[in-house]
Parts: sequence; structure tokens; C-alpha cells
Amino acid sequence: MHVNSESILSVSSLTKSVQVEDKTLTLLQPLNLTVAAGESIAIVGSSGSGKTTLLSILAGLDLPSSGEVYLKNQPLHQFNEEQRSQVRAQHVGFIFQQFLLINSLTALENVMLPAELANLPDAQARGEALLEQVGLADRLDHYPSQLSGGEQQRVAIARAFISKPDILFADEPTGNLDSKTGQHITDLIFDLNAKEGTTLVLVTHDPKLAARCQRQVEMDSGILNEKASAVVAESVDVESTSANDVTPETSTSQVG
Amino acid sequence: MIAVNQKKSSMWLAQSLRLLHHELRRGELTIIFLAIVLAVATVFSLTGFSGQIKHAIVANSTNTIGADRVLRLSTEVDKSFIDKSQAMSLNHARKIETESMAFAGDNMLLSEIDAVSETYPLRGELRIKTALTQENSVVVNAPKVGTVWVEPSVLSRLDVNIGDIIEIGVAPLTIAGIVTDIPDRSYRAFIAGPTVILNIADMPKTELIQPGSRMTYKYLFAGETDDVEAFEDWVKPQINEAQRWYDAKAAQNRLSRILDTAEKFLSLASMLGIVLAAVAVAVASRRYGQRHQSTVSIFKAMGASISHVRKLYCLHWTLLSCLSIATGLVVGYGLMLLGVNAIASYLSLADAPLTFTPFLTAIFTGLLCAVAFAIHPISVLVNSSPLSVIRGFSQQKVARFGWHQVPPLLALFILLFLFSQDAVMSAALLFGGIVVSFILLLFGRGLMSAGRSVGTKAGKSWHLALANLKRRASENSVQLVSFTIAIKLLLLITVMKSSILSEWEQQFPEDTPNHYLINISEHEIQPLQQFVDENNVANQGFYKVYRGRLAAINGEKTIREEDNSEQEQEQKAESASTEKKSEKSTEEKAEQSAGRRGAGRELGLTWRDELSPGNEVIEGQWWQLDDSKPQVSIESSMAERLEIALGDSLTFTLGSDEFTVPVTSIRKVNWQSRQLNFIMVFNRSVLEQYPTTAISAWSVSDQDRDMVYRFMANYPTVTLMDFAAIMAQLNNIIEQVSVAIQLILILVVLAGSLVLIAQVQASMEERERELAILRTLGARGKLLRNSVLYEFVALGAIAGLMASIGMEIAVYILQSQVFEMAGSFHFQYWLVGIGAGALFVGLIGMLSCWRLLNLSSVTLIRRTM
Ligand SMILES: Nc1ncnc2c1ncn2[C@@H]1O[C@H](COP(=O)(O)OP(=O)(O)OP(=O)(O)O)[C@@H](O)[C@H]1O
Ligand SMILES: [Mg+2]
Repeated sequence: MHVNSESILSVSSLTKSVQVEDKTLTLLQPLNLTVAAGESIAIVGSSGSGKTTLLSILAGLDLPSSGEVYLKNQPLHQFNEEQRSQVRAQHVGFIFQQFLLINSLTALENVMLPAELANLPDAQARGEALLEQVGLADRLDHYPSQLSGGEQQRVAIARAFISKPDILFADEPTGNLDSKTGQHITDLIFDLNAKEGTTLVLVTHDPKLAARCQRQVEMDSGILNEKASAVVAESVDVESTSANDVTPETSTSQVG
Repeated sequence: MIAVNQKKSSMWLAQSLRLLHHELRRGELTIIFLAIVLAVATVFSLTGFSGQIKHAIVANSTNTIGADRVLRLSTEVDKSFIDKSQAMSLNHARKIETESMAFAGDNMLLSEIDAVSETYPLRGELRIKTALTQENSVVVNAPKVGTVWVEPSVLSRLDVNIGDIIEIGVAPLTIAGIVTDIPDRSYRAFIAGPTVILNIADMPKTELIQPGSRMTYKYLFAGETDDVEAFEDWVKPQINEAQRWYDAKAAQNRLSRILDTAEKFLSLASMLGIVLAAVAVAVASRRYGQRHQSTVSIFKAMGASISHVRKLYCLHWTLLSCLSIATGLVVGYGLMLLGVNAIASYLSLADAPLTFTPFLTAIFTGLLCAVAFAIHPISVLVNSSPLSVIRGFSQQKVARFGWHQVPPLLALFILLFLFSQDAVMSAALLFGGIVVSFILLLFGRGLMSAGRSVGTKAGKSWHLALANLKRRASENSVQLVSFTIAIKLLLLITVMKSSILSEWEQQFPEDTPNHYLINISEHEIQPLQQFVDENNVANQGFYKVYRGRLAAINGEKTIREEDNSEQEQEQKAESASTEKKSEKSTEEKAEQSAGRRGAGRELGLTWRDELSPGNEVIEGQWWQLDDSKPQVSIESSMAERLEIALGDSLTFTLGSDEFTVPVTSIRKVNWQSRQLNFIMVFNRSVLEQYPTTAISAWSVSDQDRDMVYRFMANYPTVTLMDFAAIMAQLNNIIEQVSVAIQLILILVVLAGSLVLIAQVQASMEERERELAILRTLGARGKLLRNSVLYEFVALGAIAGLMASIGMEIAVYILQSQVFEMAGSFHFQYWLVGIGAGALFVGLIGMLSCWRLLNLSSVTLIRRTM
């Protein structure tokens, strides 16, 4: 396995299958993917195609059935739950479709959580600053139940950035929001992403959102295809290996 | 580096406290807190209280027998005993105890008569007051000749004052003081009446002692330990099985055994409440675990390690346990003080020190509840997967049977063992409890299903309510069991107090005896017989009573029988108060092989020409009137117990005489008839020659009562016992037992309510969702409220119904086994049970759903969408 020194995430011959009753269900066909540091990549595809499954393996939440996953050169596929926790605490940020804030903690406390877990100094000051950046400076002590969906997602974004993650995973971050709020949330994510220089892996249905990423890949029934561009998506040949013309500087990425 | 480490260690602390802080406003921890407080407070107050009582009665009082050693017998002792004791430089005192009448004017009162010698008591203090107004009592020995000291109730019940004269037997004696402390007071369940103390020199004047009179003679000895022990070595080989030789410790051991039994019974009964409290802990912590699952998953997705998460929740649980156990101890201490206050007039516990035992027992119980019943949900929680943040939070489906049930069952067993100190009994109780719960569960499920089908036709609210009840059947069954038990206890107390005894009394035929006459001397029999004949007082004649011992069966000497020989047990207790059961039983066996089992105590013997009514010869033949050959008829259950068959020859001792007679018949006797019955009945020729007193049983109608009492005042040495007085004592005992049951009842109700509230909280989200959907579909508020109310009302009613059935079974067992009477139904109480259940459970249920029912539909929908 060759690991490009610049790549932050590198996957080879990854598969995932689950046992349902006495049948084996293949969710992910063997796939390769490399993501360079600082890159933003969108995973698109129809519902049930395996996007979330892939994301959870990339982020170290789940283990692949076979294949290798390196995140920051760490072999996640060989790690146990505890070791993967360690990696997540150090390098990974999350934004979920259902926001997933802890209901019994205030907005600020929710934001501080990853920083505390990564033992970063100034968790509180940073949390306050981030909440201010997402426009919630006056809602620090509010509980999630007192916030609207959009506000909750903004808290989640602040939380995702507080530990200065090397890589941020977002699964349908705007899926539960109206288009205007979604737009605002998207702006926030990309702004912070640019400012912090974070790598972004984004799962979405929304072509406009996907288009803002430097690169797009498409899942189709567990098969991953590189997309030439949003415009020529239909004409992608599954068998061909094509360079990504939207993001020429990240030509190291491969699709298997 | 150190700074970073400190930061790291304080970080989880801060996070844990933060979570806890928010958690406190939610319900589950409150339930767990209250449940542990309840368990700890119960155990602490119970063990603490009984420990103090035991201490006050047993350990603290320097002497409970008024001497170093006591010899107790039913006749006067041979003078050689006294001479020997004096020769060994021991002090001695004498005491004669009996029951007889005290008279004043037209009033008479059955009393305990204590005749004591000048030196009584040798140890401990006899205290009296010489005036009612006197502040402090004074220490005294025997009253002066011609005077008596009485317990306070004698004054009121005979309507006399200090200085007045009362008659004991035929002796007029002046009341010189009121007794406040008797060193060797007996703690028996049935006491004939208040105590009258007189000088032993006055005893002959009373003429109470006649041949065959039932008297207890006590010889008290005290002196230097060596002398006492030397005397003991001399005495012990000489005493027979009808005599007792004991020291203070033996008497105390007997008392503390009684207290221990009572304590054990109460603790085991209170286990019911503690188990329910533990169930509340289990239900609430399971819900707590489920609710925190998402928090743990998010924590883990953010990179928290298992040990980090474990620390968070261990801290929660540690704080929760400490806080609730501490509160429980405080509450328990308060309850114990209440108890101490409540009995202050009987027993002063002021200076009884509190030992460590109640603390340790209570803390241990609290820990067991907090840990054993929560460990499974909490460990499931700590191990929840971070993947759940992606895949959603499935409700953990707990397998019905599995390893996770081991800690709770083990905890229950340990608790039972802690209170009963008996592994077999604990296992039996645990198993029995599981079986009973299982039966109740099945039955309750059946009723809930039945309700579901009935509900379809009973209007919309009922329909919804019963459908919900059935759907939540498995969650509801725990409450069902607990409320069933609570209501059953309630019904049992009520029925016992108001019905069983009166039904028992009513079932006797018209002329069942209600007065018993004892100590009738030979020359009194004839005038009394004439009196009852003339006045048509129903009776079964007069029975002469001889006190004798069964000394041998077929020439084989009888030995003491374990359960009847207090003395034996006490002598054992003397040597080792912590004797073990196993040792005891081996000794028993050894003894049994050394001789025939005997009746142990002295028996009341009598002779009859004809078979008494209510007796039935089941083997052999009753003797002919002219058959002067000595023979005996034995009661069947005794014959069975002693393995005596027809034709066996029995040897009896009567005073200094001994005679051997063959068994010619075996009788079946109805002991419940309240007639006079005897185990050994001889024919006339065997006993007639001996002088003795007689007894009789009369049925005195209400209008004859005064006449009979006036007539009996002419025979002051005859003891007249009113059965109603005995019944009153029985009622008194039942009253006390029901106080204890009521305490258990309150405990069970409290713990059951906690389980109910915990269960309602656990179903709250589901209920919210349902209500939201129903609201959205346009259901009116009243319909929703009623459906929730009816659900609980139905639950309570079902519990009430099952409790009523359970009560009938328990009452039937009581009636058939204890009172030996025909069973009867008590349908009027079924209504009480069902009503009380419906009302109470409905109320608690509505209260715990109050918040839910008052949420506006907007909030409901917002919350759940
Ligand atoms: N543990 C599992 N057991 C069985 N099937 C699973 C499991 N996890 C995922 N699946 C199935 O795998 C397929 C892919 O799921 P996944 O959640 O990755 O889809 P997705 O692309 O994220 O869809 P969506 O856009 O709707 O979120 C689905 O058909 C899903 O039902
Ligand atoms: Mg998905």
C-alpha cells in the first residue's frame, strides 16, 4: 500500500458487508479512495447507495469487512474501538444530519465537549468565539430544545471546528433544514473550512452543495465512481479511470 | 506535564458533574434516590429499633430473674435444698406465683398473685410508690404481713385506692403501694391480669393453696459466684424434667430468642418493600441508561474512551449512592426515634446505645440496591457503540433470561440471608417469591387481555385505556404484583380485625362454655353443682385435676422432649449463646437414642366414668362402670407423637406415688370445642383416692352473669376466668400484629408507587408520541385525559381483584388451619380491595402523568416531531 505523504485519508480495497439473518448483504464493493490534506470532497448518490456506511468507516466509527483505511497514516482497520476513539478525538470533527447535540448540556457545553476530550486548552474561550462566529453569541446558555433546527446545526458546526480537526465529516448537514437556512449553514461550513484549512468529506443529496466541493465522487449500490464534474455526471464511464478536472491539484485520488 | 494531568483529571470530573447537574432535574435519579432512601431508612430503623429494644430488655437490665439462680417447680421443694444452700452460704428467697381473684366490694378481678418472702428480690430492684402523687419510686423487698402492693390498673378496675382493703382468696389485705418495677416480670403473651404482690406469710390465710392447686414455686438463690456454682453442681443432678433450674442469662436468652424471632419476621416481611424499592431502582436505571445512550454515543464519536465514559457514570452512581444512603440513614434514624418515643411509656430506651450493626446493615442494603440492580443497564450504557449516532438508537431489547439477571437475584438472596441468617430459608423464600410473582404475572396478563376485549365495547376512552394497558402488559406486571400484595395486606388486616375472630366466636353452639372455673376444692364441688343445676347454667360437670408426669412407657424411661423443654434449651444457651443448629440436632439425636420421648411437662390428669361429649373412641374400648381394673385412655395425636399403642403400659408419677396402667382406648378429641379436654383420662379407681381440686366450664348467659358473679364471691379461692377477657387479649395481640403489618403495608405502598412512577416515566416518550398523534388526529382533551386515567384505574382494579382472591385464599388457610373452622367468603371486602386499588393507582398514575396531560398540543407536537 502506497501512502502519499500529502494524503490525509487513504482507502484501498475496502468492502463492507453485513449478515442479515442467514444472508450476507454487501453494502460496499471493493473501493479505493485517497483524500489529500485540505481537500474538500463530496460523496453523492441515491438513497441507500451506501454513503453513510462509507462515511462511518472513513471516520473510524465502524470497521470495514476487508481492506485498509489510513487516517493521518494510522491504520484504522487494525484499531480497536478505544484506539479509534483516540484518533477521532485528535483528528476528526463531525456534523450530522440530525445535529446530535446532547440535550442535557447547554450550547456552549456541547461545543466545548470535543476540545475537552482532546485536552485542548482554552476550551471555553474557543467555544465562545466559535459560537460568536456562527452567530449564536447570545445563546451560549441555551439548551438544544430551546434552539431551532438551524441554530442547533450551527452549534454542531461550532462543535465540529473547536478541536481544530484535520478532517471534518459531514453527513447531510443541511438535510433537515430549509433551503435558505441550508445555504447559510453551507456558507458557514465552507468559510470555517477555508479559514482553518480543514479537510472536508461531505455526504449530500444536494447538487449545489456538492458543486462547492473541489471534488465529487458518486456512490451507486455500493460502487464508488469519480465524477468528472457535476455537468458531465451522466456520462461517467464506470470502468474508466479519469483525472478530476475540477480539482486538478488533487490528482492523486484514485477510484477502483 | 503535571498541570496537564491535573487538567485532564479534573476535566472528566467537571463533565460528569455538569451532566449530573442537568440530570437532577429529570426524574429517574429522583426515583432511584427515593428508592434507596426508602430501603436504607427501613432497614436502619428496623434493625436499630429492635436492637435498642433488645438492649433495653435483655442486655441492659442487670437482672431479669431477681437472683443468681432460680429453681422453679410445681410443688414445694424438699427442705434439704434450702439447708444445703444455707450451708453453702447462699442467700435465698421464695416466691409463689398463681392466678386468682382479687375482690373489692362487688368487683372482682382476675390477677397474677405473687407471694414473696422477706428477702425477695435478691438481685435487681422491686420498686413501689406509696402514694399516687409520689414522684419517685422507692426500692423495697416484700410487703409487710397483711398488706399488698398492686399494679396501677388494679386500683381502677376494682375501684379502690391506696389504703383500701382487697381480698385475695379469703384473706383481707390492705393496699400499701403501687408496683412500678418487678425485677423478674414475665413476658408472656397471655397474662391473666395485673400483678398483686403479697407477703408469703399471708399465703396460708388466703386458702388458695389446696391439694392439686396449680401453683408455681420459685426458689431464688444468690451469693458469691463460686458458691453459686458449687451449689449448682449439687442441684443439677437432682432436678427432674418438670423442674427448671436457670440463671439470668438463660432467661434473657429465652427472651431475646422471642425478640429475635419477631425481628426476623418483621425484617423478612419488610424485604417485600425493599425488593420493590430495588425493582424501582432497576426500572429507573434502565430508563436512565436508555436516555443517556445518545449522549454516550456522541461522546464516543467525539473521541471519548470507554474508561472516560465509565468514569463519568461511576461518579454519578457513587454520588447518588452516597447521597441517598446518607439521607436514608438520617430518615431511618428519625423513624427509629419516633418508634422509641411511641413505646416510651412501656419501655425506656433512653440510654440504649446505638451499635454499628444497623448502620452496616442499612449501608450494605443501600449499596446492594444501588449497584446490583443498576449494574446491567449502566454497563450496557457505557458500552453503547458510537456507530449509533449514524445508525440511530435502537431501544435495547433486554433478553428475559440471561446472565444480567444474576446480580439482582444474588443481591436478593444476600438480602434475605442477611435478615434471616438461614440459607435454606432464603433460597426457599426467593424461589417461592419468584413462583408467586410468576403466577400473579400470568394471572394479571390474562386479566389485562380480558380487559382489552371487554374494552372494545366500553366507549372510546376505555377502549384506548385498556388497549394501552394490554400493550404495556409486561411493564405493568411489576406494578400489578406490588399493588396486589399491598392491597392484599390491607384486606387481610381488615378481615382479620373485623371478621375472622367474630366469625370464629359465632360458630360455637349456644351453650359453649364462656367461663372457666379453676381451683375448686372438693367440698365446693357439691354446692357449685347444685347451683348450676338449680339455675340451669349449661356445663359439663366437674373434672378433678391431678398434676402428674408420664415417667415411662412400657417400662422404658421417658426423656425430655426438645420442643417442650425450655430448661434444656436454656442450659444449652448458657454454655454457648451462639449455639449452632447442627450441633443442637446432633445432641437431640443422642438424647433420643438414650430413652423414649416423653410428654416433658406435667400433664393434667383426670378420671371419668363416662366418655365426655365431643370425645370419640377410635381404638379400643371405653371401660365399663363396674370395671375397677386400673386403665387409661389417651388422646390420639399424643399417642401418635409418643408412639403409644393400645395395650402399652404407661407409668405415671403423682407426687411421691408411682403407678402403671395399660392403655385400653385411644380417643379423638375436638380441641376447638372450647370444652374441657384431657390428654390422659383414667378410670375412677386409679385417681379417686388422691386429694385434689377440680375445674369446670360454664356457659353463662348475659342475664345470668351478675347472679353467677355474686354467687361466686362466696367462693373466693375459686378462680373464675371469663373467656371474653381471653378474647380481648387475643384481640389485643391481633391489634399489635396488625400495627406491624400496617408498617409493612405503608412500606409496600410507597415502594410500589415508586415502581409505578418509574414505569410511567419510562413510558413517557411513548405516551407523548401517542398523545401527539391522537391530538393531531383531532382527539379531544377530555378523551385523552380519561384514557390515561382509566388505564391506571383498570390497573388498580385488576390488582384489587387479584388481591381479593389472594386474601380469600389466605383467610381460608387461616380459618382451616389455625382456627379449624369452615371457610367463608367476604365479598364485601372485594369491593373495598378493587375500589382502593382503582382509586390509589389512578391517583398516583394521574399525578405522575400530570405534566404530560397539561402540555399544550403545540408543545406535544413540537417535541415529538
Ligand atoms: N447494519 C445494517 N444491516 C442491514 N442493512 C444495512 C445496515 N447498515 C446499512 N444497511 C443498508 O445498507 C444500505 C446503505 O445504507 P446507507 O445508510 O449507507 O445509505 P445512504 O446512502 O446513506 O442513504 P441515505 O441517502 O438515504 O442516507 C441501505 O440499504 C441500508 O438499509
Ligand atoms: Mg445516509
